[in-house]
Amino acid sequence: MRKLLEIALGVLTAIGGFVDIGDLVASTETGARFGLGLAWVLVVGVLGIILYAEMAGRVASVSGRAVFDLVRERLGAGVGLLNLAASFFITLLTLAAEIGGVALSLQLATSVNYLLFVPIVGFLVWLVCWRVRFEVMDNAVGLLGLALVVVAVAVWRAHPDWGAMWHSATHPVVPGTESHTAYWYFAIALLGSAMTPYEVFFFSSGAVEQRWTRSDLVVNRLNVYIGFPLGGLLALALMVAAALVLEPRGIDPSHLSQAALPTSLVLGKLGLALALLGFFACTSGAALETALSCGYSVAQYLGWPWGKFLKPVQAPRFQLVVLASITLGAGLLLTTLDPVKLTEYAIVLSAAALPLTYLPLLIVANDPAYLGDKVNSRLSNAIASAYLAVLVVASVATIPLMIVSKAGGG
Amino acid sequence: MRLSELLGAEVVDEHGHTVGKVHDLRLVEEGPLLGGVGPGLRVEGLLVGRRALGARFGFDRGAVRGPWLLEAVFGSLGHEGRYLPWGRIRSIQARQIRITGTAGDLPSPEPLGEVPLHRKPAEGSWWIRK
Amino acid sequence: MARRLDAALELLDRQLIGNGGTLAGKVDDLELTDPGGNLEPPRVTAILTGPAVLAGRLHTPVGRWLARVAARLLAPGQDQLSRVPFDQVEAVGASIRLRVAAGQLDAGAGEARVGRLVGRIPGAGDAA
Repeated sequence: MRKLLEIALGVLTAIGGFVDIGDLVASTETGARFGLGLAWVLVVGVLGIILYAEMAGRVASVSGRAVFDLVRERLGAGVGLLNLAASFFITLLTLAAEIGGVALSLQLATSVNYLLFVPIVGFLVWLVCWRVRFEVMDNAVGLLGLALVVVAVAVWRAHPDWGAMWHSATHPVVPGTESHTAYWYFAIALLGSAMTPYEVFFFSSGAVEQRWTRSDLVVNRLNVYIGFPLGGLLALALMVAAALVLEPRGIDPSHLSQAALPTSLVLGKLGLALALLGFFACTSGAALETALSCGYSVAQYLGWPWGKFLKPVQAPRFQLVVLASITLGAGLLLTTLDPVKLTEYAIVLSAAALPLTYLPLLIVANDPAYLGDKVNSRLSNAIASAYLAVLVVASVATIPLMIVSKAGGG
Repeated sequence: MRLSELLGAEVVDEHGHTVGKVHDLRLVEEGPLLGGVGPGLRVEGLLVGRRALGARFGFDRGAVRGPWLLEAVFGSLGHEGRYLPWGRIRSIQARQIRITGTAGDLPSPEPLGEVPLHRKPAEGSWWIRK
Repeated sequence: MARRLDAALELLDRQLIGNGGTLAGKVDDLELTDPGGNLEPPRVTAILTGPAVLAGRLHTPVGRWLARVAARLLAPGQDQLSRVPFDQVEAVGASIRLRVAAGQLDAGAGEARVGRLVGRIPGAGDAA
């Protein structure tokens, strides 16, 4: 019975914790501009993160080592440092975007300017990283994030033409108002929002934090195979909601409020309140994850003691990196850089950096010295390799597309 | 001397042709017992190859049986790796090692076999005891 | 049959673990005996660790700069080289277990210095 509760908790937290500011922005924007034309990319992205998150969790459970820990062993110090620099920079950008997301959610709820919330949010994120137990933190934000289910409810209650929607999702067409380069640029952005590098670092480090062992492999798989697809469904719901409400009206979402608009139209004030609670919870959770991931990646590359399970005095340099990252992230926002634009850049660059994260993970997942008999099956290797090939292509295409499509604006 | 001084050094044969760069050092247990590891480690030879990328992945030495795609890409880079016994070295200068004989008469490296030195699959696991 | 291992594949960049189980950095380099004029096969004498060591190993200017910055930030005025004689190695595996405590290494001194700084913040000594 207790095991069942544990599994249920894990699955629910996985669902609630799946969406972050990147998904909010990407799903809403692509839904508003392309209808359901990019829905297939979301499906591809969700399947990809499921595959690689399971691998990351398995590596951590069986070998007791987190992914970034092993990046340096497998790639060497030089390439590993390049990997660290890129991953750290992108995770830092994402952290800034997430803090921005929390601040914007608070602005929507209170009408107080988001910039005033930024230092407070930064401080609170740090405080939770400093003091709150890992499981408590993980479960709290995950469960609160379930409030986002209201968006799926709103879509249901809007009684859309399911047949037409299915048709437009399976027969993607670039709308007349958009260019093909913008379409593919947003495809990459959407992929980057679903398959984030920090998710892999956080998931594997979290598994080590929580002392997962071989006996936890089944729970790990259930969390990932059930929780992530349902979480992905929430991201899809955001896209559908935007396609139903924003696209016909020609609304180009540049503010977070527009992501909540469909829900408030269909379900009124209660719907809006729950949606905002969902936004707040998702972005808070992701802010914590990215802040910790910044610490994890640096500490693991250099071999320092790391982890929330240690007292801060036992892992002081790790904690210092976390603090410094939050400060830098908050500082970036205080330059009044638009948080939504920042999010777009973060997810696009994430997509470009994905091969850096997934290649070493794939190699380690095949190394019997770390995983014993739990190395990848031929099937998962085949699919994972295919994904890696696609990610390399997407990565190479990112900067050119960004330039040609003027970052999706053109 | 440091390991890093040898890694990446250029290996040149007696005709002046470049054989490749040093990827790795093959160590053998030999000599007086040291601490908990056993006999100390002595350099037996060098692993030399053309390209550095992928040499650490372990595909070429049979350690990792990866996805065939990666094996195909990186394993092939390792297949032209050669083993240089220490005895063949004539001189070591800064970043350059001269050897007797030619590149052609260097053998391929022997795979290390299943489980070298104390290594078991569970070995990597560590939990900090509070 | 004497056992063999490849230095870069099996020793370099591996995690060091002190005798108490604390993480103690990575193997940044290995110290070998000098071959000398007769080109004696070198023996491994010590493990080297620390930002300064890492800086010396990276051939790209960016890498060297980063490591120098790290060394200055983490231990101003102290040579951040830590040398672990090879007879202090307990076991070699996916990570390398040492017989000495992590805090005894010079690299551990950097951690201790930051630890004193961090220790001033309330709650630093409490388990989360």
